[in-house]
Amino acid sequence: MRNYEIMFIVNPNATDEEIDKINGQIETIVTNGGGKVEKLEKMGKRRLAYEVDKQREGYYVLFVLTANGDIIKECERRLRVMDAVLKYITVRTDEEARRVEKLRNFRQRRAARRGSGAGAAPKQSIEEAMQ
Amino acid sequence: MKSVKEKRPAGQKQYYRRKKVCKFCVERIDVINYKDVKLLSQFVPERAKIMPRRISGVCSPHQRQLNDAIKKARSIALLPFTTE
Repeated sequence: MRNYEIMFIVNPNATDEEIDKINGQIETIVTNGGGKVEKLEKMGKRRLAYEVDKQREGYYVLFVLTANGDIIKECERRLRVMDAVLKYITVRTDEEARRVEKLRNFRQRRAARRGSGAGAAPKQSIEEAMQ
Repeated sequence: MKSVKEKRPAGQKQYYRRKKVCKFCVERIDVINYKDVKLLSQFVPERAKIMPRRISGVCSPHQRQLNDAIKKARSIALLPFTTE
């Protein structure tokens, strides 16, 4: 199982029920496939940097998932088919998180060796930084 | 911040150039996230191009991460490809 993030933009004219329906569908795909929805964040309406399907605004939704390739494949297929979804992006996050953890461990060890006590504590946790 | 004195032959005017430092190294920003528009937009000037390292002073590993993040942000319409 790997960690992914799916972010997609829904048409701003869609109602709350429609957005919830899309989210529900994605959630079912993930849970049925044996994955887990770690977080579901409705980021709300914001201006798009460029026009997409004649729209200047969009409703952003972010999913943080633990899933495998098949689940992601199915989610992407569904998002492609839905008319209300303007755009989506999937990003794999576990490799990045591992890299950061390694870096922080290294930094802490080095600080300890120098005898400067606890060393520079990270300003934010990995989970926070990934958001 | 350190100033670096340029070595010049005598007689020529001396000038000081502030040494550029990588923002991400200094502030210990480990993850350059594509969702952080406020951070990324510091590295895209008006024409929405990615700022070169020679100008911004970002170190090469961080510039690579920054590139990836900006490109991801573009593909989800958080940042523009170009200004119209």
